[in-house]
Amino acid sequence: MVRRRAQGEDVVVDPLASNDAKMTLELTSGGLLHLRWFHGVDILVDDARAAMAEVNDLCQQERYPMLVDMATVDSVSREARAVWSIPCSASRIALLGKSPVDRVLANFFLGVHVPPCPTRFFTSRTEAMDWLSAGA
Amino acid sequence: MTSVGDVRDPRLEQLVEGIVRLAAGELDARMEPSERRDDIDAVITGVNLLAEELEYVYSNFEQQVADRTAMLRQTQAELEQMAKTDSLTGLANRTLLGERIQEAIRDSTEHGKAPAVLVLDLDSFKAINDTLGHGAGDVVLVEVAKRLRCAVRSGDTVARLGGDEFALVITESTKDEILQIAQRVSEQLQDSVDVGAETVWAMSSIGVCIGESGQPAETLLRDADIAMYQAKAQGRNNVQLFRPDMLDAIRDRSRIVADLRNAVAGGELALHYQPVVELASGTVIGVEALLRWHHPVRGTVLPDSFIHIAEESGLIMEIGRWVLHEGIAQIQRWHETAADLTDFVLHINLSAAELLRSDLLEDVRITLERHQVAPRRLVLEITETLLMSRGTTEEHVLSGLRDMGVEVQIDDFGTGYSSISYLRSLPADTAKVDRTLIQDIVTDPQQQKFVAAVLQLISAAGLKAIVEGIENSEQSAQLQAMGCLYGQGYFYGRPLPPAEVLDRIRGLDPRH
Repeated sequence: MVRRRAQGEDVVVDPLASNDAKMTLELTSGGLLHLRWFHGVDILVDDARAAMAEVNDLCQQERYPMLVDMATVDSVSREARAVWSIPCSASRIALLGKSPVDRVLANFFLGVHVPPCPTRFFTSRTEAMDWLSAGA
Repeated sequence: MTSVGDVRDPRLEQLVEGIVRLAAGELDARMEPSERRDDIDAVITGVNLLAEELEYVYSNFEQQVADRTAMLRQTQAELEQMAKTDSLTGLANRTLLGERIQEAIRDSTEHGKAPAVLVLDLDSFKAINDTLGHGAGDVVLVEVAKRLRCAVRSGDTVARLGGDEFALVITESTKDEILQIAQRVSEQLQDSVDVGAETVWAMSSIGVCIGESGQPAETLLRDADIAMYQAKAQGRNNVQLFRPDMLDAIRDRSRIVADLRNAVAGGELALHYQPVVELASGTVIGVEALLRWHHPVRGTVLPDSFIHIAEESGLIMEIGRWVLHEGIAQIQRWHETAADLTDFVLHINLSAAELLRSDLLEDVRITLERHQVAPRRLVLEITETLLMSRGTTEEHVLSGLRDMGVEVQIDDFGTGYSSISYLRSLPADTAKVDRTLIQDIVTDPQQQKFVAAVLQLISAAGLKAIVEGIENSEQSAQLQAMGCLYGQGYFYGRPLPPAEVLDRIRGLDPRH
C-alpha cells in the first residue's frame, strides 16, 4: 500500500508493504522519485511490474525524474528489464551503481532495450542528481 | 591477473567452466558472481546476461521456426483442401475422387469388396443455363450436390467432375446395395428445383461400374462414364450398369471417328446423286447429292451409319465443306461434258453445325464463282427442326444465302412439328415432304386426305412442295392427283455415281 504524508513532506511507500520488501520508493518534496533496491535482491518480472505500478500510483499522472539505486542488486531478469521499456511516470531515470557489476547490469538494460525516457548510468550520486536536475 | 597474491582465483575457473558449458550448447548454464562485485564478477555477470540473451534469441528463433512451420503446414493443408474441393458445391473434385477410388481399391484388397463408381450427368442442364442464366445453373448444381450427399452413406464420396457431371464412390457394398443407392440417387433428382420464381428439373443419366479385383481406378471411372452415355442413349433419366459390350461399341465408334478423320484426305468419300423429277413428265429437274464412304475394309458405308458420329465429333464441318466443294465442282464437270444441260439444280444437305460456320456464306459464294456455277442452281436442304429453332446467326446466314440467289429447302417436312402460323415466315423456298407421310398413301384414304392437306398448306405458305420416298407408280399417280408437282424416290431413280447422272437427265437411263 502507499502511504502519503501532508503536502510539502516526503511521500514514502512502506517498504514492508511493497512486494516482499525488495525496494522502497520515495517522492521527495523536491519532486524527485527515489527507488532503492535492497541489498542482494534478484529482480524478477513481477518485482519490476510492482515497482512500475507503484511509481505510476505515487505520481498520480504527474511526471518526475527518478533516481534508481541499484548498487547492491544481484541480478535483473530479462523479462524484468523488458518491463522497464514500457513508459511510466518517470520523466528521466538515473541508474546509480558503484561496482563494475552494476555497470554491466545497467548497460545491458540500456543496450538491449530502448528506455522509454532519457536514462543513464552513474557511479556518482552527485553527478546523477545534477543530471536529473538538469532535465527537470 | 589470474591470481590474488599467488593464489589462483576460483571464480576464473568457474568462469572458464561456465563458458565451456555454454559453448557446448547448455544455454541455461549460469555462474555465481561473488559479493566482491569486482571486475571478475562483472565479467561473470556479463557472460550470464549474454547467455540469457542468447538463450532468449535461440528459443525465440526456435519458436518462430515452429510457428512458421505450423503456419506453412496449415496453409498447405488449406491449399490441398482447396485444390481438391469444388469451390461451388464443396464436393470433392476430380483429383480427390481419383484418390478416393485408389484408397477404396487398396482397402478392398483387405475387405474383399471392390468399390463401385457412379457417374451422373444432368439431362437438361444446358437448357437451364441458356434460358435462366449461369446463376440459376449454379443454384441447381448446389441443390443437386445436396441431394447427392443425402442419397449416399457417410463413408461414400460425392464429387463434381466439372460442368454438370458428378461422380460417387461407393465402398464395401454388394451389387444390390450399389444399385439401390443408384436408384435412390435417381429418385432424389426426380423432384423439381426452385430457382427464384422458376421451377426446373435436374434429372440425370447415371452410369454404374462395379469394380472387380485388380481393376485400376481409371478404368472404373471410364466404364462408369461409358455406362452413363449408354443411359443417355437409352432416353436419359435412367440408370445403366456397365457391361463389357458397351466398351466394344465405344471402341467401334472411336475407330469410326479415327477412320473418318482420314476419309476426306484419303479420298474415300464420294457423292452419289438421286434425281428430283417433275412428276407429270418424269423430267429430271435436279439431283440430290448423297454422301457415300468407300471404307477400305468395311466397303461402302451409308451416311446413316456415320453422320451422327461426324456431328458429335465435329468432323461434320470438314465433311460438309468437302461435300459443298465436290458437289459444285461436279456441276462444272457435267457442264463441260454437256453444256446444254443448264437447268437442273443440285441439292445439298446442310447440318445444324454447318449453318453456324462463320465462313459458310463466303465459302458458298467463292466456290460457286470458282466453278462458274449460277447460285440459282444450288439448293441447300435444312431440316425443319433446325429451321424452327434457328437463332439470329442462322437467320442471318439463311437470309444471306437467299439474297445470293441460293435456294433454301425445308428438309424432312412433317417431322418437326412446325407451327402452322410459323410456316409462312420460314426463310425457305421449297419444302420436301418426308417419306414417312406417303408410305400408306395408296391404301389409307385418311392418309391421302392428310397428305393433300399438307400439300395445300405448303402451297398456301407460298412454298413449292417436293415429296420424297416415292417408290411406285401408284404413289406417283396419287400425288399428281393431289396437285403435287415434284418428287424423288426409287421409282424415279436410285442415287447414281456422277458418271451416270447425265444419261439419266437426258432420259437415256435404261431403267426409265
